[in-house]
Amino acid sequence: MRLRPGLRLQLALLSLLLLALPWVGYRYVQEMEAFLLDGQRQALVATARAVATALHDRPQLMAARPHTGRSTLEAERSLLPGEELLDAPPPRPLARESEAGGERVAEVEAILRGLERTTSRIWVINRDLRVLALAGRLGTAADPAAGGAVPWWRRAWLALLGRILSPPGEIVDAGLDTATLASGREVYEALLGAAGSRVRREGNGGALIVSAAHPIWSGDRVLGAVVVEESTDSILSLRNQALERLLALTLAGCVVAAAVVLGFASRLSSRIRRLRDEAENAIDARGRITALVTGSAARDEIGDLSRSFSALLDRIARHHAYLENLASRLSHELRTPVAVVRSSLENLHAETLPEGARTYMERAEAGLARLSRILSRMSEATRLEQALATTESERFDLRGVVEECVAGYRLAYPGRAFDLRLPGYPVWVRGAPDLAAQMLDKLVDNAAGFADADTPIRIELAFQTTSATLAVSNAGPPLPPHFDERPFESLAGARPRTNSGEPHLGLGLYVARLIAAFHGGTLRIANLAGGEGVRASVELRLA
Amino acid sequence: MGRRIAIVEDEAAIRANYAEALARQGYEVSAHADRPSALAAFRARLPDLAIIDIGLGDEPEGGFTLCGELRAMSVRLPILFLTARDSDFDIVSGLRLGADDYLTKDVSLTHLLARIAALFRRVDALAGAGVASQEEQFERGPLALDAMRLAASWRGQPVALTLTEFWIVHTLARVPGHVKSRDQLMHDARLVDDGTITSHVKRIRRKFATIDPSFDAIESVYGMGYRWKH
Repeated sequence: MRLRPGLRLQLALLSLLLLALPWVGYRYVQEMEAFLLDGQRQALVATARAVATALHDRPQLMAARPHTGRSTLEAERSLLPGEELLDAPPPRPLARESEAGGERVAEVEAILRGLERTTSRIWVINRDLRVLALAGRLGTAADPAAGGAVPWWRRAWLALLGRILSPPGEIVDAGLDTATLASGREVYEALLGAAGSRVRREGNGGALIVSAAHPIWSGDRVLGAVVVEESTDSILSLRNQALERLLALTLAGCVVAAAVVLGFASRLSSRIRRLRDEAENAIDARGRITALVTGSAARDEIGDLSRSFSALLDRIARHHAYLENLASRLSHELRTPVAVVRSSLENLHAETLPEGARTYMERAEAGLARLSRILSRMSEATRLEQALATTESERFDLRGVVEECVAGYRLAYPGRAFDLRLPGYPVWVRGAPDLAAQMLDKLVDNAAGFADADTPIRIELAFQTTSATLAVSNAGPPLPPHFDERPFESLAGARPRTNSGEPHLGLGLYVARLIAAFHGGTLRIANLAGGEGVRASVELRLA
Repeated sequence: MGRRIAIVEDEAAIRANYAEALARQGYEVSAHADRPSALAAFRARLPDLAIIDIGLGDEPEGGFTLCGELRAMSVRLPILFLTARDSDFDIVSGLRLGADDYLTKDVSLTHLLARIAALFRRVDALAGAGVASQEEQFERGPLALDAMRLAASWRGQPVALTLTEFWIVHTLARVPGHVKSRDQLMHDARLVDDGTITSHVKRIRRKFATIDPSFDAIESVYGMGYRWKH
């Protein structure tokens, strides 16, 4: 089966393009996030610089810090690029310094305490990467989804979001993880004298941490560095909120837009379908225009189409009416000249004519008689239509009518055999018996006209549960191909008529068709199986 | 003295042809081309019979009007419609206006003359001038036909039949039980078109049925024709 995408499906597919909107929004939020992150870095660098400024040129503050007893590896790690550890450093007199150092450290921490904030952590380290002071901690904002009863739709929504967005991540308060600290590029840079910043991920899949370092100068020597760390939690949650809203809004927008598009498409296609149905119903099986499409008042293209269709049908109907009346008008118009010829010929009879003229007179009269017959045949269809309009339906036995008719045909066509097959019961139908007889006349006349010599004409009447079929078949030349497609065309030129005695305009079948329609039936003409003849059948409703 | 026949026909050739043919039969013919001139002539002197076309010049229904006017002048005057129109509607309107018969133009002159003669015989018979012969009258049960007066009656009540209808009843009733084909009826009723036989028979039945609702003497024999029931 061929796929036929309807208008609605096409527009629904088109509306999928709307899904590009959330993607664009996502990209935008990402840009915003990068921008915010950069801002946070700048802010942290500024903080680090401010702290470092407070510590500049105070070498006594930076001098000591109790050694926490790291391994020599720690010392190796703390080497700056280009420095070499020639031999293991001798144990420093730290213990001595520690008391005095403790005070100094307290001073540094006092400075730092003023800078303490919940979400940032500030380290002060010396060149050996020893932590001189530490203030603040990486705070975590309360997870909104963590506590309280959450309605199921909200949970489902969050689950859906969780698949799309990266969660803020758990903040692991790593404490004094100097290893992590030491691996930071920004710390190296600071110890080399340049402020630096970095974004790193805490642990495995943990929170993003922004850290900035600034050197502490003493003269032109770097004494240590201030490292400020802050989690990007707030930005992330901001981003996630933005994304969540964006997703919700664009989804709602998409749904609304899709609904609107679908509704529009439905309306459009229903209008087109209505137009199509009207157009199909406008012309009935007999090719007559029964109802005109009422032109829609809509001002768009479909309304336009409907109006031009209506106008077209109107023109066709008028042309059709003209053609239908043509036969009767023509016969009417021709009657007068025929009457002139006839009366002239008859007057001529009264004159004494030379012997040779008699022949021509006879020929002229024969031609005139034929012309008259053609004229009356032509007006017969019109007259029948007028008669049908005034004829009242009655219930009658079709079997009796067919039986009587065939008895008549046996007299009327003496050289022809009739093969009559009737059912054993009366066949009651509704209509007019004399019209039914006239229809059978036409069918038999047509069959006799085309039947091969010495072949019988078969007339069958059979009934089914709700309908009766009257069929007349004859052996003879088959119908021309595509006969069904042009059932109104005259048969005159289509098949050679074997027994031509009558003018044949194909009007007989037209008359039969009219009568069949009057009886609520249809006339069908088809070739017999094997192409040995033609069968005309009328299906009538039983009464 | 010849009888006067008026022909009102707008087609000059037909008018002349019919006028000549009728004159040849010894009738006195006055031919008119349109309604006003015909009406003026009729006012001056009524003809004995009028043959009228329906479409007269630029009056498509002029014949009907003229027929009504003529019938108002004389109740007895035989009026024949002779026209190219053959629709049932026209026939019925023509007959309702009081015409005695309605013929289409392809009727042959012989038939036309026979009708005219029959109409004159009826006029004579009604005037008591002619002697009604026995052969011209016969009865079939409740039906009585008088071929001279072209009068039919059913159970003693007159049935107003046109000439054509009378000939059809006459042909059928003369030999009851015998099926007359449409061709035979056409010939006897001097019709040219067998398509109109059906509507004529229908009208005859209706006319009898108005007198006797149980009328069913005319039987259709499908495929053959009609017969008068015994």
